[in-house]
Amino acid sequence: MIVVLGLSHHSSPVELRERFAFAEARIPAVLQLMREEGLVDEAVILSTCNRVEIYASTSLDSTKAFAELKEFLVTCHDYRDPLTDELYTLNEPQSIHHLFKVACGLDSMVLGETEILGQLKKAYDIALQHRHTGPRLNKAFQRAFNVAKHVRTETSIQRGSISVGSVAVELAEKIFSSLDGRHVMVIGAGDTSEKTARALMSRGAKSIVVANRSIERAQALAAEFGGRAVNFDDWSGEFGNVDIVISSTAAPHHILNRTKLEPLMKLRKNRPLLLVDIAVPRDIDPEVNLMPNVYLYNIDDLQAIAEDYLKQRKEEIARCEAIIVDKAKPLLGHGNGPGAMGGVVPAPCSVIRGSGSNGSA
Amino acid sequence: MWFTNRDPNLDRHFFLLAVVLYGISTIYSVFLWRKGFRQDNWFNYFLLLGAFALHTTAMALRGFDLKHCPVNNLYEATTFIAWGIVAAYLAFGLWSRLRFLGAFASPVLLGMGIFALMPELDKHGETPQFTGGGTSLHASLALLAYGAFGLAAVAGLMFLSQEHNLKFHKLRAMLSLFPPIQKLEVIAGRLVLTGFILLTVSLAVGGHIAHEENKPLFNDPKVPWALLLWAIYLALLVSRWRFAQSGRRFAIGVIAVFTFLVLTFWGTTLLSPLHHQ
Repeated sequence: MIVVLGLSHHSSPVELRERFAFAEARIPAVLQLMREEGLVDEAVILSTCNRVEIYASTSLDSTKAFAELKEFLVTCHDYRDPLTDELYTLNEPQSIHHLFKVACGLDSMVLGETEILGQLKKAYDIALQHRHTGPRLNKAFQRAFNVAKHVRTETSIQRGSISVGSVAVELAEKIFSSLDGRHVMVIGAGDTSEKTARALMSRGAKSIVVANRSIERAQALAAEFGGRAVNFDDWSGEFGNVDIVISSTAAPHHILNRTKLEPLMKLRKNRPLLLVDIAVPRDIDPEVNLMPNVYLYNIDDLQAIAEDYLKQRKEEIARCEAIIVDKAKPLLGHGNGPGAMGGVVPAPCSVIRGSGSNGSA
Repeated sequence: MWFTNRDPNLDRHFFLLAVVLYGISTIYSVFLWRKGFRQDNWFNYFLLLGAFALHTTAMALRGFDLKHCPVNNLYEATTFIAWGIVAAYLAFGLWSRLRFLGAFASPVLLGMGIFALMPELDKHGETPQFTGGGTSLHASLALLAYGAFGLAAVAGLMFLSQEHNLKFHKLRAMLSLFPPIQKLEVIAGRLVLTGFILLTVSLAVGGHIAHEENKPLFNDPKVPWALLLWAIYLALLVSRWRFAQSGRRFAIGVIAVFTFLVLTFWGTTLLSPLHHQ
């Protein structure tokens, strides 16, 4: 029987999650201890910033297994405060479904994100290398990875960007043949503009020019990306070369309007220009979007796209869950397929304390 | 045996079937458009591949009958242009980001196919009886050039659609699998350049043939029409590369010139003594 015990961003605040987190180097020893104490036959520990979960195969009665695993976890971290609903426990079939959901990013804070799959693979690899997995967890995890791949290709759960920075990158990729070799200008070195610039640079943008009222801040940001800092009053002189402009100054009026941009576009020989205005009040006059080859997006436009993507991802949840239930059947002994794990009878989710809430979204 | 005793209109039947597939592809393209071109789709590609096979068969049967390249009348010329468009699309469509070009190409192909099937266009006798490889080369190069211009116009349509969606912040722009608009502009530009080179060679060959046969060139309406077309495409290319014309204007120009080509091609051909001797 495969069980799950853990806590996640759904059930507990970060203060609690960090108390229960396992350092990667410590995990093999913890797994070893769990097995030596006879709590589990096989186990994998997943410890990320958003969740700490023990996936285990045990021959113990589920109530006893959960009580002992919880006691082990609490003792392991020397945690003495009372726990209510923070820890959840899952028995088959929910435990298998939960593993699959985690692998697909359905249980993640950012719905559909893919980072968790890498973290899950790493957690499994650690357990596998130290021989703390066996036939049951091997089958369950391998299938989870396959299901994640299947869900990624068959649904839109991972489609689109749901942060302002990544939406800006995606927009740039819809306009320019390639981001390689593109020149980025940041006007006003704020937090969001820094994140957006970072996202663009990570996708291959060639260089960055930073213009800020505080030249020290501009130099610091430019140095971080290996770019150049220019005086705030000189930013328009750089326009001939740039392809993407991220503007986020605190100016109370438009710093760029059609009259100012028209001669600059001639310098650029009408190459496409993506303007990302994330300032409030806006830095760029919306009228410039009427000019040929100019594509202007403000913070509301980017957020609207991100929200639309999120809405679409949420609409895909039901499809993903149907796939998960279907793909879990062979593991749960529904049928006589090669993946069946010995005709395990599904048992209800047991609870240690409180409601034992399912961690899924 | 079958080949010699077959229905004389068999090639037209094959072409009709191809046009039916172009029609189905057009209807399916509307469906793809409503779905926002979000997922890679091979179905339309295979529909057009099937149509291409039938279209090629029709042209081959006609070619075997005539024992030379089937470019003798308006039916054959129009089918040749459409064949050039679909052949080029099938090559481009192997790249997933350009597969949706088919959705924009199929209505053009359907329109050309219906036009070509008008019985009056497929007349023999009054139509030119070309002799010699030079004339066939002239005609086929010109028609391939028009095919390239046609596909450039299709890429231009795709550009305008995506550019509009990006300008007006439509989510469709983000969700569709269209290539970046800069890439579409480059593709349209290269297709126009290819067509322009083919047309230049075709006009040079045609001029040489007329000169050899001492035929008056400039009394024929087809000649100034072809030279005008050549000059307009040259202007489009020069304005793009020399004067950095915007992608939108270039796309509109390419579509407008191809529309002019399609609308005037049949009229100038019918009025041309050189093409009716």
